[in-house]
Amino acid sequence: MERIPFLSGNEAIARGAVRAGLGFACGYPGTPSTEVVEELARLGADDADAAGPIVEWSINEKVALETGIGASLAGARTVVTMKHVGLNVAADPFMTLALTGVNAGLVVLSADDPGMHSSQNEQDNRRFAAFAKVPMLEPSDSQEAYDFPAWAFELSEEFDTPVLLRSTTRLSHGRGRVVPRPPVTFERREYARDIAKYVMVPEYARERNRRALARLERLRRRAEETPLNVLEAGTAAVGIIASGVAYTYAREAFPKAWFLKLGMSHPLPYQKVAKLYASVSRVFVVEELDPFIEEQVRALGLPVVGKEVIPANGELNQEIVFNALEPALMHKPPRRRRPVMPPKPVIAPAPASADDLPVRPPVLCPGCPHRAVYAMLRRQKVAVMGDIGCYTLGALPPLLSLESCLCMGASIGMMAGMNKTLGRIASVAVIGDSTFFHSGVTPLIDARYNQAPGLVIVLDNRTTAMTGHQGHPGTGLHPDRGAGPALDIERLCQGIGVRCATVDAFDEAAVKDVLTRELAAGDLSVLVALAPCILMDRSSREQVLVDEDRCNLCGLCVDLGCPALVAGDEAVEITDDCTGCGVCMAVCARDALSLPEAPAEGS
Amino acid sequence: MNGVRTVSLAGVGGQGIILAAAILAHAAMADGYDVKASEVKGMAQRGGSVVSTVRFGKQVWSPVAPRADIVIATETLEGRRALALLGDKGTLVFATTVIAPGSVLRGEKAYPDDMVEAAGARLIQLVPVDAEALAREAGTVRAANVALLGAATHVLPFGSKSWDDGLARVVPARILDVNRRAFALGREAAAVKEEGQ
Repeated sequence: MERIPFLSGNEAIARGAVRAGLGFACGYPGTPSTEVVEELARLGADDADAAGPIVEWSINEKVALETGIGASLAGARTVVTMKHVGLNVAADPFMTLALTGVNAGLVVLSADDPGMHSSQNEQDNRRFAAFAKVPMLEPSDSQEAYDFPAWAFELSEEFDTPVLLRSTTRLSHGRGRVVPRPPVTFERREYARDIAKYVMVPEYARERNRRALARLERLRRRAEETPLNVLEAGTAAVGIIASGVAYTYAREAFPKAWFLKLGMSHPLPYQKVAKLYASVSRVFVVEELDPFIEEQVRALGLPVVGKEVIPANGELNQEIVFNALEPALMHKPPRRRRPVMPPKPVIAPAPASADDLPVRPPVLCPGCPHRAVYAMLRRQKVAVMGDIGCYTLGALPPLLSLESCLCMGASIGMMAGMNKTLGRIASVAVIGDSTFFHSGVTPLIDARYNQAPGLVIVLDNRTTAMTGHQGHPGTGLHPDRGAGPALDIERLCQGIGVRCATVDAFDEAAVKDVLTRELAAGDLSVLVALAPCILMDRSSREQVLVDEDRCNLCGLCVDLGCPALVAGDEAVEITDDCTGCGVCMAVCARDALSLPEAPAEGS
Repeated sequence: MNGVRTVSLAGVGGQGIILAAAILAHAAMADGYDVKASEVKGMAQRGGSVVSTVRFGKQVWSPVAPRADIVIATETLEGRRALALLGDKGTLVFATTVIAPGSVLRGEKAYPDDMVEAAGARLIQLVPVDAEALAREAGTVRAANVALLGAATHVLPFGSKSWDDGLARVVPARILDVNRRAFALGREAAAVKEEGQ
């Protein structure tokens, strides 16, 4: 007879994820989460022939999640692991990922540490599920740790949401027997560009936010139906609501009680709670750390015993639970009350555009160097992972040159995860200079460390333009405009060990040359497209002239979205806003656009 | 609401809406009103639609309001759009400046030309101002926002001294003179128009 494996929760999570078709896993080590990635690496080494998941250590949790998102977009079921405080580091991508949703299933493992065995705090990360409005699964033993990843991936894909898988020290480092299950077959999902879903500029993010709010209510209905949330009948008139290892303590302390065992503990299934109350005369909530479930039950207007007797800090065990709740059994049961179901929250609709007037979304300025780079980039057959700054506007019509915007610095990790998963440069990253210094350096180091192929294009306009031209480490400028040391991106890349070329953003041939060369090279490199923000240089320039006989209104130049170019009746027209940057001249196929001839030297 | 009056300033990012709103707010304060104001910055600055709001009265609580009594618009389409903010019988003071948005530049949409009908249907008073011409006359086209503000003085209760106090507090010293000229020209132009009606 084959021996049933005796696994730690972390080992079980790893094996359960592989069984569920895991394609990519990464994380930053942190007790008690560390062994998931280690077990995955071990499984890969033991079975080197099988096409197992890509497994990486990341430079930090934020980069880990962004890289995981890239892998999910590329179509691989993905797990990203971290300890509870790691989710603070990854909170930036996590909170907006809740809006964009995923492609292939994406599960974030948060391993909490009640009692602070090996941590600086004991924050209760169930709050993060409520905060981000995403579903949360809480296994209570190794078997569930093995079974739940498959459920989590399915939920993630069905509801287009990341799923928070929450463990605690006693689950991650506890052991139990795990009955293996047949593998799940998972077809890799093709990536499809979807700007309105993945580019979180205000207009698109508002719509995704409405969807996330509506999704939460659908998830609550699922929480009512899912077999992960079980109402277990008892023989005593006492009911206990619990999740995770706290359930196991309560189960031993009160074997005769009724239980509402929550495997999917967010959003809370109100009807199941009401059903428990209909079956017993009093209800306890047993949970470690915060009164997360208790507060929600109280909000239903139901009497409950919880944190007034069960400590809100440290770990629980069966004795603590028994000693805390046993005296409460002596009290008279509370008066029976009907639950008051919270009303479905109203979601404000998108405001209607007044009288169908033409909308005026923000645009790249005339003469903006970003437009010059997009004009070259949009001809390449690569996905463009974007970032946050003026250049995000390149995602809007007519440029449509950028297909993701998640949070500061996310472009590089997402690019790396996507390319690593697909094994080629399927995407490039576009990031501004200030954003690069904010959060682009760590993912570049990570991409180098994990040998992800790709091209990072730093749109270096020598300022933090979108917010009003503030200084940053690359310019050395301070709020009082005093200058300190300025950091050089090329030398930084040299230190990291990544090839870096700097070209004039307006030099069409040079930009094209580097793009062609580096996309073919197939490894990791950086292109700094340098040209100062046009708003910082108001010197008057020559304006582009139109040869009306040559112009056939083909639209190539108008398609650059330059506010200084108007589609006229006979030919394009140039407005006074033209800065003579020449980007339109470069795309014109009929030489209809030109700058006035410079006077010959010496004349 | 409760005698509080709301002025919304609408325009295209980069037209100096925030500066105009600040001058108005300081003029109101100099006139003894309680004032609250709100502005939109960030992404909206890059050539997108922007609206700032100034509210004044005996006591003002909220910095924003869903409806305005007066709209001052530095661009015609944005003025047309802001009709939706005005209650019936409100006043729209707008610059005749036209800045076509992308969809119009590309020929996908038409620039609206129904201002008079749309305003008339709701008894909204229109005050069109060639703010750019006035500003150019004053010395720089960039003072169009302030010229327009000058034209709006006739529908606002603040005294001349209060307006000048607002200008002096908000406008940087090196461009104060040209802005004072633009303001005076705007004020004059609208007065002439009123007499003519």
